[in-house]
Amino acid sequence: MAAPVPDASHAELASRLESYLRPRFADADELAVEQLERIFGGASRETYRFVVRTRSGGGEERRHLILRRDPDGSLIETERAVEFAAYRAFHGTAVPVPEALFLEEDPEPLGHPFFIMEELRGFESSPQAITQPPYAAHAARLARRKWTILGEIARADPKALGLAERMEPVAPEQCHERELAYWEARIDRDEMCPQPVIRAAIRWLRRHPPPPAQKISVVHGDFRTGNFLYDAEGEIHGILDWEMAHLGDPLEDLAWSLNPVWRWARDERAGGLAPREEAIRIWEEASGLRADPEALRWWELFSSVKGQAIWISGAREFSTGRNQDPILALSSWLMGNSQDRAALLTLGRLP
Amino acid sequence: MKPDPTRFLEVAAGHLMARAAPLLPAYEQSSASVIGLLLTAVAEEFGRAAARRMDENRALRALFAEAAAAVEDAALAARLREAAEGGDPDLRVEALEATNADLRALLIELHAHVEGLASEAARRIEEAIWSELVRSTERRRLTLQIF
Repeated sequence: MAAPVPDASHAELASRLESYLRPRFADADELAVEQLERIFGGASRETYRFVVRTRSGGGEERRHLILRRDPDGSLIETERAVEFAAYRAFHGTAVPVPEALFLEEDPEPLGHPFFIMEELRGFESSPQAITQPPYAAHAARLARRKWTILGEIARADPKALGLAERMEPVAPEQCHERELAYWEARIDRDEMCPQPVIRAAIRWLRRHPPPPAQKISVVHGDFRTGNFLYDAEGEIHGILDWEMAHLGDPLEDLAWSLNPVWRWARDERAGGLAPREEAIRIWEEASGLRADPEALRWWELFSSVKGQAIWISGAREFSTGRNQDPILALSSWLMGNSQDRAALLTLGRLP
Repeated sequence: MKPDPTRFLEVAAGHLMARAAPLLPAYEQSSASVIGLLLTAVAEEFGRAAARRMDENRALRALFAEAAAAVEDAALAARLREAAEGGDPDLRVEALEATNADLRALLIELHAHVEGLASEAARRIEEAIWSELVRSTERRRLTLQIF
């Protein structure tokens, strides 16, 4: 692998990181930030890995950390304090996450707000790699772990986790309307061309409201293949990208995980891992909840509205020059059309 | 125009992904690979760009001509007739795209309107709209898509 290139912006960022971290490692006689390297992806925040090397007394310690910094523009507008709180709340539970260390909402230290967490090293996160050797042979185990962990998130008590106070409250009968109104407003604001499929889907969702949520859960908001760290034995070591976490109907997460746009194996397996019915069965077993087919259908169609809203926002960010990461253009082209196809499939209209 | 622009874009994408990207640091390597994929998508779109927009505009005008007789809103019916009589005199992709956006905005209005009508004619128009929405989605599909 190529070594990180120390360009001027990286050198300045490393220097500012050192200044920020020094008082937070008060026992260290010396502190240096090394091997700062930007990681691709993470369209909602700039993500960097780095090593903080400290020396105190006679010993030296090296910690591998991740910096998540707000960009100028992103696919998803999120509250970093909520994301940070979600990492903290689930750390050490049945839901594996990296340890979140520092949250800084003042833009002064690094130019934008950010947070820092530990790096879980030696694992894979690519949604394409999971369908290839050596990982593909463990698809069934990965599927069991994936939807078991999602069931654990659904089962968890937001109040006991300390997240009920950090996230906007919602009543069981209001979950669906709140989410639909939010994402429809994003489409209204950002669309650059008419969206007849998604507008039809929104009208359908309004005509067929789902039953109230069985319970109010923490909803990860982007639980899918590509947002967790896994190994070649079929184990999952970290659930990442909690930037859209909120309180809501746990079926929202299940539906998102089943959306056809995440069929990375290019067959009918959800998330490239397991048949849809198997994924639902694992989730029901782990969560202790029931995935009512009609309610789940509502949330599956909603997930295509939400997905399309994200791709539309990315297209606007790129087109206006606010964020010209090429992944925004690619996802808008490819995922935007896939999302329309997914909505048509859920509505029973795709041949 | 030779070499063919589609071929050039495919070659450029391959060069970028297979030869240039591996020489770059990890983040830039990923960016270059994504740009390579974008060029591949542009190559696919280049050849069909005008044709698929013209096909769709023609299909929407035909649908509007049929629907004008079934809708119960006189103003909407008049707009449908007017749109149905339009054409695509400017074949530049940008102009075809602008017309397409106007027609698709009208399609959304028509779809919402007929959903609220109880007549058999409205159901027929609604089915025709769904068929066109499926076709329009398939027209835009790119080979790179996983779904």
